[in-house]
Amino acid sequence: MTKPLPEVQPWTGAFWDGTRQGKLLVQVCHSCTARIFAPRKLCPECWSSDLGWIESAGRGTVYTFSTAYSMVEPAFADDLPFTIAYVDLAEGIRMMTRIVECDPAELAIGMEVDVVFHARGDVRLPYFRPARNGAADE
Amino acid sequence: MSDIAIVGIGEVPTARMPERTHWDIIFDTCIEAVEDSGIGKDEIQGVISVAPLGQPVIAGELAYGLLPERLGLKGVRDSAMVNAGGASTSNALRLAEQWIASGVADSVLVQQVTVHSTMPVAEQIEVFARAGIDMQWEYPYGTTYNIIMGLLATRYMYESGARPEEMASVVTALRSWAEHDPNSLFYGRSAPSVEQVLSSDMLATPLHKRESNVLADGGAALVVVSAERARQLGGPAAFKLGESARYFGGTCLEREFSTMAEGWRVTGEEALARAGVAREDVDLWNVYLAYPLAHPMMAESLAVAPPGQGARYFAEGRMSFGGDIAWSTIGDAPGRGHTGSGVGTACYVETARQLMGRAGKRQVAGCRFAYQNSAGGSGFNNIASIWGREA
Repeated sequence: MTKPLPEVQPWTGAFWDGTRQGKLLVQVCHSCTARIFAPRKLCPECWSSDLGWIESAGRGTVYTFSTAYSMVEPAFADDLPFTIAYVDLAEGIRMMTRIVECDPAELAIGMEVDVVFHARGDVRLPYFRPARNGAADE
Repeated sequence: MSDIAIVGIGEVPTARMPERTHWDIIFDTCIEAVEDSGIGKDEIQGVISVAPLGQPVIAGELAYGLLPERLGLKGVRDSAMVNAGGASTSNALRLAEQWIASGVADSVLVQQVTVHSTMPVAEQIEVFARAGIDMQWEYPYGTTYNIIMGLLATRYMYESGARPEEMASVVTALRSWAEHDPNSLFYGRSAPSVEQVLSSDMLATPLHKRESNVLADGGAALVVVSAERARQLGGPAAFKLGESARYFGGTCLEREFSTMAEGWRVTGEEALARAGVAREDVDLWNVYLAYPLAHPMMAESLAVAPPGQGARYFAEGRMSFGGDIAWSTIGDAPGRGHTGSGVGTACYVETARQLMGRAGKRQVAGCRFAYQNSAGGSGFNNIASIWGREA
């Protein structure tokens, strides 16, 4: 069964172009220096439209997580069990993601994780896995 | 000083009964509420429906004014539907208040109906997976409401140190009220023990199957009039005394726990101050949160339990039927059975029932003042209100 793709907005195309190139982009406001997630048409802090992107180092820490074992939509049933998490990026934003390549029993709040891109159709979703050897760019 | 009062209530038992249609329920709840109010059917001048979640056909019928015609309410001047998810009933009552204050209507019928049992399971899951979920930044990862509540609970347990046994005891407490509620899906059934809750299947850590909700069908209705009219009618009534609200954020991604906890505290205090009611005089904390795991946090925000002790209070049975704190006396959604936006309506009906002195075995002795809240989505807001049996 086909899994849903992100419903891209006109101002978020750059984010998804970035993931296709293996880059995790963070939206920034040039007027007030806010780091923005989720990306907006205008800065949610000051309503400036002078927005741009910086590339994240791809490292973050787990803020919270939940591992699903059942009662998910049929499209995701073949992924069970899977872990959803909020990850705080070093660049100052928090995003929802999945944690992969990790035994759920080993997961903990505060765990360091690195981005790893997962293909779905022509989109690559930013997932995270436990950090290795302390190097974000490994 | 009160402006409006609930003078009539009607409700059908919450159950999984596919043969009971939306309109079957609407006829029963609305006629019961109007007859209970002592007001003639043609004196009802306004009808407001609480938007049913994920039921597009009945939602369309109610939004476009079919109800007054079907029920033969000849005096109705206007009809509308309101939607703020689980906070819809609070908004329906506010709209009723505005209609009464502005002279649009003297008496307003507010109703909610939900039928889940005719929806395929996959569709039920999909409705709750998409309701208020961000379609770009959350949905593609496979999240659901259970998972969102799991994310919240993981963090709450990390911050508070609450143990799984204590969290599970909230279910035991809420279901202990349901056991004595004739309109509950679980009426007459013993509350599950902490061990039974923890031994049920894991759905989304740390949420066990018995810590989630059973979807069911139900409906309820309320008749609202001005406080002055309620006094003239002379029967038992529930008067709205004060209200306060805060918005926290549409997705829980951008919501800090501290913001929610602070908002829950502030709205409670503001509602009490506006009502002129002291916190110690609240006889019933009729909390609506849909999932059990948020109850300990609310108990702490309302200063019913000391900081960090919310879960322990539930574990000690203090909020259970027979305990010393009257808390969510229909057991919120885990106790009543989940009827989508209808759980909020059922809570208001229960608050009115308690203040009218008609709650049977669950009756809080000498109930004069009740705290009633509602919240929408995964907790985008909190609306706190104080109700009294006198204006």
